Amino acid sequence: MMTDEELYVAISPLAEQVLQIERFDNTITMMSTPSWDSLAHIQLLSGVERQFGIEIDGDDAFRLTTAEKLMKYVQSKLNK
Amino acid sequence: MNSLSVLPHQRSERPLDLPYGTFQDLLRAKVEQAPGRDFLIFPESGRTYTYGAFHALAVATADWLTASIVPGGTISILFRNTPEFLAIFFGAVAHGVTVVPINPDLAAPEIRFIVENSASTAVLYDPDLGAKLKPLESQMSTGVKFIPVANVDDLPIVDVKAVEARLPKVDPTTPASINYTSGTTAFPKGVVLSHMNFLVDGKGMAEWFEFTPETRSLCILPLFHNNGLVVSLTTTLSAGGSIVLVDPKASLRSFWTLVERYHATFTSVMPSILAAILAFGFEGKPGYLKGIICGGQLLPLSLAEKFERRFGVPIFEGFGSTEATSYSSFNPIQVEKRKLGSVGLVLPISDMKVVDDHDVEVPDGTEGELCIRGGNVAIGYHNLPALQTLRFRNGWYHSGDFGLRDKDGYYYFRGRKDDLIVKGGEKIYPAEIENILSQHPNVAESAAIGIDDPILGQEICAFVNLKDVGASSEAQLLSFCAKSLARFKQPKRIVIINRLDNMPELPKGPTKKILHRELRDYYQKRLANSEDPEGLKWVLGTNSAG
Repeated sequence: MMTDEELYVAISPLAEQVLQIERFDNTITMMSTPSWDSLAHIQLLSGVERQFGIEIDGDDAFRLTTAEKLMKYVQSKLNK
Repeated sequence: MNSLSVLPHQRSERPLDLPYGTFQDLLRAKVEQAPGRDFLIFPESGRTYTYGAFHALAVATADWLTASIVPGGTISILFRNTPEFLAIFFGAVAHGVTVVPINPDLAAPEIRFIVENSASTAVLYDPDLGAKLKPLESQMSTGVKFIPVANVDDLPIVDVKAVEARLPKVDPTTPASINYTSGTTAFPKGVVLSHMNFLVDGKGMAEWFEFTPETRSLCILPLFHNNGLVVSLTTTLSAGGSIVLVDPKASLRSFWTLVERYHATFTSVMPSILAAILAFGFEGKPGYLKGIICGGQLLPLSLAEKFERRFGVPIFEGFGSTEATSYSSFNPIQVEKRKLGSVGLVLPISDMKVVDDHDVEVPDGTEGELCIRGGNVAIGYHNLPALQTLRFRNGWYHSGDFGLRDKDGYYYFRGRKDDLIVKGGEKIYPAEIENILSQHPNVAESAAIGIDDPILGQEICAFVNLKDVGASSEAQLLSFCAKSLARFKQPKRIVIINRLDNMPELPKGPTKKILHRELRDYYQKRLANSEDPEGLKWVLGTNSAG
């Protein structure tokens, strides 16, 4: 089981590359990050799926609009 | 409503059919018909509103707004597809206030221009935008109030009838919104739309597509653009149907899930969304989906055919513009009467025609400029009298779009009369980008063009002539643009012409005006193949689907 901190460390390189931001932390939201656009959202979720071997279904994908929500979601998937 | 004082370009040969004069009248009428019927569904937050509940919320918001605004004033709002956007919009226009919906992704200088240009007295915004908007508050010289709004459901409950009785009487021709679109000069232009414009266009489309109270629209386009506010919202409201609203930036991957889960019967998209669904291989079942409304940029025939073959849902292409509120023509709802590749027949709310350079109507089959008139055509541009005279003349709105009409009355869109770039449905004039690049101390001249993109339709390439070729890199110029331009307006590619062996300066005509068309040709012949869409390849990975 990963801690929240470890999860951020694991996801940050991917998220920072896709969203083209300097730091991915719990303050990052789709609303406040113009580079988190529709194509970036697809890239980010696809990358997370590949990295953690999880599947994000359509019922959840549109809800993951903040770093915090994404982290909680990944954590819950990894804990299953 | 025929006694309304409408402008010459708002009169058509068809009688004006406007049973409800304002948004508030329309909403109240629907509440009286079925107060408990579902109206708005926000799956992300789980918030839902019946007609009665939303009416009460809008009236409560109107009551709260009296502390911030004055009747007849203008406010700017920055929200995504949330209850806050709609409650504030309905609450404000019920006061006769004009609302300026602003794209939250615009850069701070762009937002400032719109707020100042529209003379907004208040800016209501999603608190998530605080970091971007707070600094603007102190820069504004006019004492504009900046008000974060986290959750309109927290507003005090009011006596709806008592508050409504205090609301001023609003004339249908009162401006309801000013929608800013890219301008041919360096700055965006505001299109002023009245209650009448929205309600005529909404009703016209609802009847065209035979919307009923059972209609459920899936809104995946932003409400700050008229496609969301009119095609998804006003149209469905006109019929007493319900609307599922999601954040456009998060919806693409969930498209089919949302369609299926919420029993959507209609949705409205840009062609780039269809292209992305195909390119990323998103699979799903159409369920109750009767059709997809599509426009905003050129829809390649091959894309429409491929999408329909794959998913079995008819696509209804139409022609529209912000200046005509949204759509003015559509292919018929009877699938067999559609003509793929055409933008359809003129809606019964408008007249359309095709004219030559002398404003003379041309015979069917001849290309010319598409012109529109009717109750859906805007009041005009905000404080731009010269442009107003140019585009709204002789009783018609001149769209700047080229096309033709066939012998059966179907219209065909062929392209722009000017150099407008349409990227994923966002319209961007080169002047906006060139204006920013011209402010770079090492740029002698620049020109921006649209280049082909497999998903977005077009991307942006800027050609730049540097004063000192060694002093600036492409990356530095891109970074410079990023400070002042919204992300979607930033060039994907910069070409420094000093490094080309065959372009000593940007191509110009006799009046020294830059010839964007020649640059497009140059790019297509010499540079297009050297482009490597790394991002797309990276995304597609092994899941690539054509």
